[in-house]
Amino acid sequence: MNVLELSNVGHAYLGRTILEGINLRVAPGEIVALVGPSGCGKSTLAHIAAGLTAARSGHITRGYARHAMIFQDSALMPWATAAGNIDYALRLSGAKRRDRHARLVAVADHVALTSEDLAKYPIELSGGMRQRVAIARALAIQPDFMYFDEPFTALDVALRRRMQDLVIETCADGNLSGLFITHDLNEAARIAHRVAILDTRGNGILGHRSPPGSPRTRTDTQVFDWVQNALQGDPIFRHIHDVDERQIA
Amino acid sequence: MTRAHRILEFLWSGWSGLAALCLLAAVWQAGHEAYGPFILTSPLETIQAIGVLASSREAWEIAALTLQRAVSGFALVALAGTALGVAGGYSPATMRLVTPLITVLMGVPPIAWIVLAMIWFGGSDATVRVVIVISALPTVFMGAARGITTRDPVLDKMSEAFGAGAVRRFFGIGLRQTTTTLFPAFALALGTSFKVAVMAELLSNAGGIGGALAMARMNLDIAQALAWVSIAVILLIMVEYTLVQPVKSEIDRWRHAAQPWGVKR
Repeated sequence: MNVLELSNVGHAYLGRTILEGINLRVAPGEIVALVGPSGCGKSTLAHIAAGLTAARSGHITRGYARHAMIFQDSALMPWATAAGNIDYALRLSGAKRRDRHARLVAVADHVALTSEDLAKYPIELSGGMRQRVAIARALAIQPDFMYFDEPFTALDVALRRRMQDLVIETCADGNLSGLFITHDLNEAARIAHRVAILDTRGNGILGHRSPPGSPRTRTDTQVFDWVQNALQGDPIFRHIHDVDERQIA
Repeated sequence: MTRAHRILEFLWSGWSGLAALCLLAAVWQAGHEAYGPFILTSPLETIQAIGVLASSREAWEIAALTLQRAVSGFALVALAGTALGVAGGYSPATMRLVTPLITVLMGVPPIAWIVLAMIWFGGSDATVRVVIVISALPTVFMGAARGITTRDPVLDKMSEAFGAGAVRRFFGIGLRQTTTTLFPAFALALGTSFKVAVMAELLSNAGGIGGALAMARMNLDIAQALAWVSIAVILLIMVEYTLVQPVKSEIDRWRHAAQPWGVKR
């Protein structure tokens, strides 16, 4: 039984086919990283899987109870405080008022947000803190599936590492499955159980590779070696760093 | 920043407004001294004329009539313009249909509408309200439509990803983002409402401040005319700062969050 299954999914944008014949499965407790060069339709695929964009063809089966999503540029409402943003998701999830406060405090503690931070507006927070709030918002509704839509691309290297650690630690208890979109192979190798490689033209999944061990036990050396071997020896990753600015979506 | 802080800061910013008014009075006084009292009475005499009017019950009724017409006209145009603008913002087809009509509305001078409205409704409240709605509709429509079309699409996605339906997305996310452009449009529309109300009253002989101005013109009473103009402006400022600004500052709280106390940019 898979928690997410895409069969033969296709999509077109402005009359141009950008995704075709995508088959992808995510097993319970598994984090799958979807990698591919910029502009190959990774984010669109995540949005289709989450039901935010309608697929033109194919079939999507969702076996999870509730999903949450972390977006590339945090997607916080600028007019609400950090607490307000987290509470918004809680309200949408239908949590009761009393429980909402308890959840908010617990989840803020989990991602190391102080009560001072919670009272601030996004404009007063740094990029890293904003993404922390976005993670807290996603975790607050206690999802069993998480979509990560290139969540740490805009952060600097050190900050990105800390956020990745936060994700690894959160997902490690096994209750959370997820689809992690990224174009950074290093990030994929750190976080995911399995890496799926999307074709440059969105023409199907080229294949899957599994870095050694599990995300929690994997050492930095293992990650480094795996990425080096993948980039040098594995033809499937040949186009991973291709860039075509003209491609959209 | 607490609410008390914000109110204090707002009151403190009144000094700059007061300074601007004093500058205006100085220019006015210079004009008075250059052209004499028959062309332009001095600010002091005008204030005295306002004082005389303020002690007469009849003057209060005249002002209240214009106030009622301007505010009810503004309320109508705010509702209609927002509804149309939001519809236009979400639906490109509506936008394309409505935009030429808005251009037509903007092209026809308000005076023409006054003539038409006088023929249709006579010298009544309805005449004034209709002209207000027609004159201020393009502004409010554009403000609302622009707010919807320039909203952040990622927030819509976010809201949907967390399970918000179309209605909750609209009230929680879409409408909230129109305020950036809608409130300046409201402020403009409110100004238009007062201007047009006075003009329509004057031309359609419908009483109110416009009627009082017509009377002052007949008597060649400059002090009286200037006093009524000042009263119209005072009413506008009062309505703006009791109706529009408090709501706006509450909604725009987050914008000021990153600015240090007392510093204006």
